[in-house]
Amino acid sequence: MSAPAPAPNGAADARDPSGFLSEIIGAPVTVKLNSGVVYKGELQSVDGYMNIALEQTKELVDGKLRRNYGDAFVRGNNVMYISADS
Amino acid sequence: MATQLLPLELIDRCVGSPIWVIMKGDKEFSGTLLGFDDFVNMVLENVTEYDYSGAQTKLPKILLNGNNVCMLIPGGMPEGNES
Repeated sequence: MSAPAPAPNGAADARDPSGFLSEIIGAPVTVKLNSGVVYKGELQSVDGYMNIALEQTKELVDGKLRRNYGDAFVRGNNVMYISADS
Repeated sequence: MATQLLPLELIDRCVGSPIWVIMKGDKEFSGTLLGFDDFVNMVLENVTEYDYSGAQTKLPKILLNGNNVCMLIPGGMPEGNES
């Protein structure tokens, strides 16, 4: 009754945050930080802090490519959102 | 004591419906709420991100960090509200 997190089938499905994360592991994603800097790459892993490991990472500032990283770790407190690229 | 609706229960009722998210600072999101957790991290679908400049960005599906969320408005953004 008081549990706020929706888990219709008991298990984490793609509809709640942890289910969404497990669904998009290995997929190309866009990560936007609170600073506005955007990282695009292949999502290697995420944890409960939203710490993120990306591969083949592109760093975009104001939409322009600034740098490339083979492997990158982003500390979760900076993350505004993680978007699955279509 | 009359039964009261807890804040997160209100959000639970919005799952599957359009929602309007206003962040701390000049940023807003509108989209369909797919799910959320105790931190109010949210999974949103068919999202429009509204910048401080009024610029709009479409995003198919996102996990939005709850850390900078200020306000949630069930029903989504009113038509023609932001341009």
